Amino acid sequence: MSILAGGIMIGLAALAAGVGNGLLFSRYLEGITRQPEARGTLFGQAMITLGLVEALPIISIAFGILVLFKIIG
Amino acid sequence: MEATPKVEFLGLTFDVTVMIGTLFTAVAVFLLTVLASRGLQMRPGKLQNLVEMIIEFARGITRMTLDAKNAERYLGFALTLFLFILIANQLGIIMMVSAEVHHPIPALGLTEDVLEKVHGHVGLFKSPTADINVTVAMALAIALYAHFLGIKKSPKDYLAHYFKPFKWMVFLHLIDEVAKPTTHAMRLWANIFAGEVMILILLKFGTPLVSGAPLLIWMAFSLFVGAIQAYIFTVLATVYISQKISDEH
Repeated sequence: MSILAGGIMIGLAALAAGVGNGLLFSRYLEGITRQPEARGTLFGQAMITLGLVEALPIISIAFGILVLFKIIG
Repeated sequence: MEATPKVEFLGLTFDVTVMIGTLFTAVAVFLLTVLASRGLQMRPGKLQNLVEMIIEFARGITRMTLDAKNAERYLGFALTLFLFILIANQLGIIMMVSAEVHHPIPALGLTEDVLEKVHGHVGLFKSPTADINVTVAMALAIALYAHFLGIKKSPKDYLAHYFKPFKWMVFLHLIDEVAKPTTHAMRLWANIFAGEVMILILLKFGTPLVSGAPLLIWMAFSLFVGAIQAYIFTVLATVYISQKISDEH
């Protein structure tokens, strides 16, 4: 049962992270096509946002690992 | 998962690997800054240049969120936090520092069933930030410090801001105050912990031929993640402080 639970947690986290990062970087690419000179600043901002967006799926993955290896739950 | 030696003291459990990691990081940060600030020169050498770059970077973080006077006041705080987390996050790259334990050592929490589970492998070294207790302690300390600064500035304003813009919004503010340190701690911990577990899985369940290249790529990526998370943790810490001491609300 814990294998199933861990698998679902990690899988859903990957799904959500894929959608979130896809949205983020599609907007980033749109931005640099419109304004190629803003590439440097936009890259920094995109990376910071990536760190903020990645946090929630990675928390889910960390708890998924803990459940998978039967450390909690 | 690796077992780690633990010490019971005054009813609390202390992880020895976390203490080793914290000590190592603290000494590394201390040596880096002390060596860089011995014999300061107008034309800086390599090490002085590097540390000056990091200080300018930390100044950029505080300038972004605080006004000019407060930015200089909290520069030391931001710099210390950034350097400590930056170096602590990278300790997970040094892996496989472990001991073979054949006889149970009850004083270190290594009983027979624990040893049997991990086949005698006991980890001795890991990122202190991969332990949730460390990050929760840091986030709680920062949250308490921010509240203290808010109350010190003006107790009346501090209480009044909970009821702004509407009275019933006090519930949202209270949830916010609990959620901020929680996510602050979990964001750092989960990133570093997941990275270390991934390295461990690639090391244990793969042959060098198959998992060698992914391991190298993942290690490079976790260096990058460690730097980004150190930056984000510091930015959020200064943001939480600036929310309590800025004049807008």
